[in-house]
Amino acid sequence: MKLEKLREGLRRIAGRDVDAREDRGAIVLEGETDTWEARLAAGYFAANRGYRGVVNDIVAAEAPWAATEQPRGALTGAGNGDVGNGDVASGEHPLEGLSFDVAVVGGGVVGCAIARELSKWRISVILLEKEEDVACHTSSRNDGMIHDGFAAKPGTRKAAYNVRGNRLWEPLARELGIEFSRPGSIVIYESRAHAALYPAFASRAAKNGVDGWEYWSARRLRAEEPWVTGDQHGAFFLPSAGIISPYKATVALAESAAANGVRISLFTLATGFEREGNRITHVRTDRGNFSVKVVVNAAGNWADVVAGWADDRFFSLHQRRGTDMILDVQSGDFQRHIMAKPSLLQARTHTKGGGLVPTVEGNILVGPTANELPGRELYATSPAEIRQLERHIGLNLKLSPSMAITYFAGVRPCTWEEDFVIEPSRRVANLVHAAGIQSPGLASAPAIAEDVAKMTLDILGTSTRIVPNTAFRPFREAPVDLRRLSLEERAKLVARRPEYGRIVCRCEEVSEGEIRDAVRAPLSARSLDAVKRRVRAGMGRCHGGFCTPRVMEILASELGVELSEVTKKGPGSRIALGETKRRA
Amino acid sequence: MVSRKDYDVLVVGGGPAGLSAALSAAENGARTGIIEREDRLGGILKQCVHDGFGLVRFGEQLAGPEYARRFADRVVEATSKGTVLATHLGAFVHAARRETCGDGGVRYVLECVSRDEGVFVAAARSLVLATGCRERTDRQVFIHGERPAGVFTAGLAQHLVNIEGLLPGHRAVILGSGDIGLIMARRLFLEGVEVEGVYEIKSEPSGLSRNVRQCLEDFGIPLNLSTTVTAVHGDRRVQGVTVASVDRRGTPIPGSERYVECDTLVLSVGLIPENELAVSLGLALDPATRGPRVDQEGRMAEAERADEGIFVCGNALHVNDLVDYVSESGEQAGRAAALFAAARREGVPIPERELIPVKAGSGFLYAVPQFIDRARGGKAVLYFRVNATRAEGGVVRVASGGATVLKKRYAVLRPPEMERLEIDVAAVPEGATQISLELADKGEGDGR
Repeated sequence: MKLEKLREGLRRIAGRDVDAREDRGAIVLEGETDTWEARLAAGYFAANRGYRGVVNDIVAAEAPWAATEQPRGALTGAGNGDVGNGDVASGEHPLEGLSFDVAVVGGGVVGCAIARELSKWRISVILLEKEEDVACHTSSRNDGMIHDGFAAKPGTRKAAYNVRGNRLWEPLARELGIEFSRPGSIVIYESRAHAALYPAFASRAAKNGVDGWEYWSARRLRAEEPWVTGDQHGAFFLPSAGIISPYKATVALAESAAANGVRISLFTLATGFEREGNRITHVRTDRGNFSVKVVVNAAGNWADVVAGWADDRFFSLHQRRGTDMILDVQSGDFQRHIMAKPSLLQARTHTKGGGLVPTVEGNILVGPTANELPGRELYATSPAEIRQLERHIGLNLKLSPSMAITYFAGVRPCTWEEDFVIEPSRRVANLVHAAGIQSPGLASAPAIAEDVAKMTLDILGTSTRIVPNTAFRPFREAPVDLRRLSLEERAKLVARRPEYGRIVCRCEEVSEGEIRDAVRAPLSARSLDAVKRRVRAGMGRCHGGFCTPRVMEILASELGVELSEVTKKGPGSRIALGETKRRA
Repeated sequence: MVSRKDYDVLVVGGGPAGLSAALSAAENGARTGIIEREDRLGGILKQCVHDGFGLVRFGEQLAGPEYARRFADRVVEATSKGTVLATHLGAFVHAARRETCGDGGVRYVLECVSRDEGVFVAAARSLVLATGCRERTDRQVFIHGERPAGVFTAGLAQHLVNIEGLLPGHRAVILGSGDIGLIMARRLFLEGVEVEGVYEIKSEPSGLSRNVRQCLEDFGIPLNLSTTVTAVHGDRRVQGVTVASVDRRGTPIPGSERYVECDTLVLSVGLIPENELAVSLGLALDPATRGPRVDQEGRMAEAERADEGIFVCGNALHVNDLVDYVSESGEQAGRAAALFAAARREGVPIPERELIPVKAGSGFLYAVPQFIDRARGGKAVLYFRVNATRAEGGVVRVASGGATVLKKRYAVLRPPEMERLEIDVAAVPEGATQISLELADKGEGDGR
């Protein structure tokens, strides 16, 4: 009866060519729509109707390719000689025949946090990442906000993990040696009617267990943020909202995990599982197959595909692209808090809708947008998105689109229920899902990691005796960050290692020594973008115009390759494609 | 551990502006220090191996490095001789601040770091900012798409080719017909790169006419006017770009998009004066030039206090098209900085300035300097750009308080070509509140 009503509704919304069936508690949508929009409408319609999850297999005629999209590894399609950076070559199988207690699929912030959490125990853990580095996708393509937990829908996993993650990040950042601060977040009331919503706001914050909130009068708002535009009527202030560098955080988690015994296997595309009965026995990868006791699915935008390998696809993901714009570092002088307006907040049903977010480096980041588009790794930006961002810039009198240094897009992996999937598989005995981790995934990551590690150990414990890793060192040896040192401290350091005195990136003030450190670190930076993610060289206002050749030289000398082999982002992305007549 | 070097004049930047400024400061008796962030003097000229430099100044066509050497050699010679001029190479200015001297005057203190000298501070009564400019990037002109390898600013491509001996790609599209873009089109062509075309959003070229002729026409490289690149395709390496025609406001016309296959996109889409140091010292920027506001000696104009000795010259002040004028502005600033420092050192009061704003009227993009100090007397050099091409030429009148200070006739006026005027400051009437530049049609003027 329930299913019949759902079918009727679906056809009304998405056309006669769609159908639904129940499969082991989940609802599976099938058939065809003309538009992507109609496919989306069908997915949303089926959500939260008492099923365990929505699997939307409807093919939209305008983007049929999206239905069969498969992950591609960094080595996929890279011809010989196009590998660059002296990296691994395809065709090598170093993982063949090995065996691990746990395999974590995916080197985003969630996978890396889980791997680090698991490294507190004396078990063997491998983390598989298909790209040349961790944090290549969603984890380096977001606004770096550690949300307070106010925006999440009360009662959801999102709300619980967010609030707990927000608390965990502060001590964790200290251990990892990365910056974390709590500028707090302001939701601006632009009318008296908005201001009257305060009790509703407060009650929602209380329900979610958010750590504190305040009512700000218009005068207080003006005093705190003098450049807010227009006629404002005060604000709702959430002091616990924090910021972090998402890519530095992910790299730091991976490095800490590696230092504590986790094997980080980059350039490794998982391609499937081998199963016996209700257990996964082996993980198949393009670098060899290995045996495993428990698998953690932290595969980001591919998590539903990975679940499918275990015949456990009770959810499917849709992609919500978000574009962020970074403003010149001077913008940071004009705003202290994270800022957004309710009208913008509600512009989209399923997202906060973005705002103006200070970064730990002192820039203001604008965004993100939220657009439902096909493509799990399509990061092309569009003029329409920039226009969406310009509305936010208008919130602050001192900011303008001409301050833009760059902009970039990320893709949030969303379930149709719009909540996280964090649970052991019900189909196979040794798989744990950390899927559908959209916003506020970064904020939630440490809390998710705790729970997923617990679930993993529970499974592993049935066959293996687990003892704590007494050698676990929580504190990572943090890289030198010259900008933060006093002149005297810096002088001492430069006297010891003169490379710290040679500034390579002028905009972000990054020295040769820091870049060399990043290449020599346990999780070696091997491309321009990987260097950027660690030390920000090339991220400033000139965007690598001056420092690119210098960073290339350092990479070439550290990796022992020719200058022309240095890449921007791994195989297939060499900076130079040849030599000049004079040189050749 | 942090050593300190004291000078009369500190010059930040060892490119053409800084070299001229330092030489001229030293010649005027100032102990002068140059802080240069690269390991060699010469600035961007080091990679400009094409010729055409020095026509105005030396009456001959020099390559960039040759032009730079004429100044750098003199600096090296002076530094080897004695203590008047010193260079700090590979030195980066981390921060700048003011310090009050014993006599109440201002001294500028730069916190610097270098590989060879470690962390040190350098201090002087006069500070010359010759920090040059940087290039605008793809995102700053709102080109969309992913972020693959193969997108270069023209200066970066030039560095890779001319300094590192590397080829950026095999098939290139060039966006922007600024001078560096035109020069890179030719350079890449000569290196065997297929240059598909140069695209310019405006309806006329942005670079010097001679460069359009010598770099494109001579090699048959197409110049596509009123056309721009709107998107880059490819995620690892550029696969192609979308180009589109634009309307009169520069907005892409729907339906005019065309895919161009290429592995390289070179951008010559404008230069931005680098003034982060100036801004950190509280100098406001002129929105038209994006450089500080100065008087005819390059001295910061907004100081209410007479004891501020910050001077700005070269491309940090406004983007020049000829290096000869960069050297000229460096010389003026260097001399003035030396005299200023000497006066402060000897306790001579700095004469009150009589700053009269220069207003570039309709038809102009801007004029530099933004102020003339009438109290200085003598000659003052004015540079200006018009905002649209006047193929039929025009007459520029410099007027003040109802009087005509100067009138000059031009056969042609184009935005890419900066023009230079010399006025007699004494001709500015007493009590004048403004010096204005007016543009009139040819017939209305009678020349000088």
